[in-house]
Amino acid sequence: MPSRMGARAPAGFGRSFWELGLLLLLAFVLLQGSVFPYGADASSQHAKDGCSSTHEGKPNRTKKVFPVLSFEYDHIKTPFEVSLWVLFASLMKLGFHLVPRLSSIVPESCLLIVVGLLVGGLSKLIGESELPKLDSGNFFLVLLPPIILDAGYFLPIRPFMENLGTILMFAVVGTLWNAFFIGSVLFAVCQIPAAGLTHLGLLSCLLFGSIISAVDPVAVLAVFEEIHINELLHILVFGESLLNDAVTVVLYHLFEEFSAFGTVTVLDGFLGVISFLIVAFGGVLVGAIYGILAAFTSRFTSHMRVIEPLFVFVYSYIAYLSAELFHLSGIMALIACGAVMRPYVEANISHKSHTTIKYFLKMWSSVSETLIFILLGVATVGGPHNWNWIFVTSTVFLCLVARVIGVIGLTFIINKFRIVKLTTKDQFIVAYGGLRGAIAFSLGFLLEVEDEEMRHIFLTAIITVIFFTVFVQGMTIKPLVELLAVKKKQEAKRSINEEIHIQFLDHLLTGIEDICGHYGHHHWKDKMNRFNRKYVKKCLIAGERSKEPQLIAFYHKLEFKQAIQLVESGGGGKLSSALPSTVSIQNIQPKKPPPAPEPRERVLPQLPKSREEEIRKILRSNLQRTRQRLRSYNRHTLVADPYEEGLNDLLKKQKMFELEKKIKEMNNYLSVPVATSDSPNLRRARLASGRQTDFKPDEQQNGKKQTSDPQAYNVKPDPVEVPTIQVELASPQSPDSVNILDEFRKDKEKDEDTGLTMKPPSGPSAPPRKQSGEEDAKDPQKLTRCLSDPGPSADEGEDDPFLP
Amino acid sequence: LSFLECSWRFCGRFKALWMKAALPDFKIRELTENPIGGRIIAAFFPPEKERLDFPSFVRILAHFRPIGKNRSRDRAQPEQANSRTGKLKFAFELYDQDRDGKISREELLQVLRAMLGLQVTEEQLRSIAERAIQEADLDGDGAISFDEFKKSLEKVDMEHKMNIRFLK
Repeated sequence: MPSRMGARAPAGFGRSFWELGLLLLLAFVLLQGSVFPYGADASSQHAKDGCSSTHEGKPNRTKKVFPVLSFEYDHIKTPFEVSLWVLFASLMKLGFHLVPRLSSIVPESCLLIVVGLLVGGLSKLIGESELPKLDSGNFFLVLLPPIILDAGYFLPIRPFMENLGTILMFAVVGTLWNAFFIGSVLFAVCQIPAAGLTHLGLLSCLLFGSIISAVDPVAVLAVFEEIHINELLHILVFGESLLNDAVTVVLYHLFEEFSAFGTVTVLDGFLGVISFLIVAFGGVLVGAIYGILAAFTSRFTSHMRVIEPLFVFVYSYIAYLSAELFHLSGIMALIACGAVMRPYVEANISHKSHTTIKYFLKMWSSVSETLIFILLGVATVGGPHNWNWIFVTSTVFLCLVARVIGVIGLTFIINKFRIVKLTTKDQFIVAYGGLRGAIAFSLGFLLEVEDEEMRHIFLTAIITVIFFTVFVQGMTIKPLVELLAVKKKQEAKRSINEEIHIQFLDHLLTGIEDICGHYGHHHWKDKMNRFNRKYVKKCLIAGERSKEPQLIAFYHKLEFKQAIQLVESGGGGKLSSALPSTVSIQNIQPKKPPPAPEPRERVLPQLPKSREEEIRKILRSNLQRTRQRLRSYNRHTLVADPYEEGLNDLLKKQKMFELEKKIKEMNNYLSVPVATSDSPNLRRARLASGRQTDFKPDEQQNGKKQTSDPQAYNVKPDPVEVPTIQVELASPQSPDSVNILDEFRKDKEKDEDTGLTMKPPSGPSAPPRKQSGEEDAKDPQKLTRCLSDPGPSADEGEDDPFLP
Repeated sequence: LSFLECSWRFCGRFKALWMKAALPDFKIRELTENPIGGRIIAAFFPPEKERLDFPSFVRILAHFRPIGKNRSRDRAQPEQANSRTGKLKFAFELYDQDRDGKISREELLQVLRAMLGLQVTEEQLRSIAERAIQEADLDGDGAISFDEFKKSLEKVDMEHKMNIRFLK
């Protein structure tokens, strides 16, 4: 998970120690809280018995005093403990960032494991034996799905698909190679009498090999997130860790079944292959089905925006569980579900739902990951161990060797088919990034073999490998990346040019392929796109958006970002080139065409800086007053999202800014000639378009103002407002929307709200300009408040359009 | 043309295609659906010529050859057709129909109109074109020259994109 340096930098080292100490104290108290109630259990039982017996009215019992304050721990025990653990994990996460240098040297996963070890050690000292185990049920059903869903939903589809062949090779063939190599060599090692392991059969060793061979997505995510390597390597290692789940599942079950019997025939091998295909494709199919269902459902949620995120989560979780039901690959189902539903769902849901989904996924996956690592540490201390030097060391050694050989061998074959070859540096990073993690541990935990001792040996070895990879490899990969000068992640800021040209090139390549008669990559991609556009989008995307081509969607997104960024930077001052904002913006309705700006050369008078300041001060004080008129927020009547409409107007405004930028001379120039008039035509159009509201400023907000200022730019009025959302009479307005409304309020409207009279634009040229200057000075105040949610990290990947 | 040597392997396929192309009613079905199909075909024909001969055909296709390892003799030649610049030049020429060395707003609009077609309004197209030119145009002449074009695509992996695999 991205390490976020806390905004409050500790003043000095001493201070950070204090805070860390306080945190530790708090954590300790919490732990005692979970331990203490065990003792209290007994007493509460007594009290209950006492009470019940008095009710029965047995004569030989004395009447107890009615308990004014009773302590009953039993029935809240489980939720209470779970919450305590979650709280503890989150506090630990906070704590790491208080110690400034620590989080840059040591990856978070290591720190969390250490914390887990400490906690485990502490509780063992106290004598508490009931520690929460990294129970396979908990792990696979509760802790793992959020992480995988987060990964799948935000999976960058384009690089994934482009490298799919490579990824599959690594995932399937690489894992198979690893498993067999490690298993068979270990068996050979076990034959050495000195090891005392001769009772481990070949099948058991192979079983162990299959458990330990899989690269773990959780660990990979945790480490790779912090090193920011280039997209190709990231998607290779990460994709491999996701897709090898199918192989692991099949191998695990295969060997588990047969290690009991002791023999494997060719038929079993053949069945294994079939099983693999079923597991893999079945998982993907299940995920895709649920993804389509989710997309279809989201088409109808325009009236009930609040529960939109819920559909995404629930459908995905059900997909995971359904896949697990049939012993298919749950991870692949989850990935497929997320990846399939994303483009359609994002076109349907509101901007706020999108933010909600993003945040919830990040939050859950973050907490999950933290808990997993802590519990891993705890389980290490608590778990039954059987340390066998030879076994453990040879396992670690073999894992490394197998990985290196596997990667080199596979790359040699793969490079024959790739256009962009994998260099030695790439191979090294791929090999080095093969981290094992909690999945291996849970699988080991799940093992049911008659020989308990063997199980303990396995578990010990698994834990050692995990520790080795996470600590040693995790800590050193960052300096190694620096040392080898591996290409880092580019801050991808896709420009509209790139989009246009990339689409152009796609068409070009498709054409050339058609000429050559060569049905290549582009041909099929084009066919799929066509199919998608013609049939699928119509079904799954609501309303007009189904016809919106991707380029337009991307363009709108860009414009939004720029508008927001402009506003956040405080008005039309310095317009730097569009930096992606940390809030991903939802597409707006395509029916509102942005006005075509007509560049005209003209010289505008400048606003003196003091005047600007004055205006800003007045506006700021007025905003306070209008705030108080807000109604309470009622989720049942939350229907419309006027915020989005306001943004649209802002978008048009921003176009003005851009043009202004071109011709203005001074940087601090602040003026936009969008005067706000309200011609009767517009009013009629708005009313006719069916918006019923008694909240007058609403009307204002929707109409685009026509200016009669001869020197101002002409803004094309929207003849068709897009009120696909009905604003109910009692619609509550969130603070944001009201504020946006403010600026468009005329003095004809509620004067008492705005202490500032805005003159109608029909006056001389100077006042309208001043007026509009006030208006857009207002913008930054309001919208900065609206957009106060910083993203987890400016995650460019997600903000990329969902172009295949 | 060393490329020719390599392409003898696929000569059969080319020849068949070329024979087809020599026929007057040459139609490749998919190309009619392709928004820039007309431009692609036009690019094959050298200006003012009605017929395409094999070397010209191959010369165009050479742009799509994956970039191989640098051989010493290749370095002696000026812009290789399949080098990054060569590929970009080809794409640029597809935009720039009137061959004045710049992509004007009108030309960009035409391409956008062809690609996006009837799904968007004229104003949207205009504003996209305007925005694209704003972003790319560094010298402020209102059109995109080849260098500006190159610069705006510097992050795109051209070597990966403009490749037909079997043309190695």
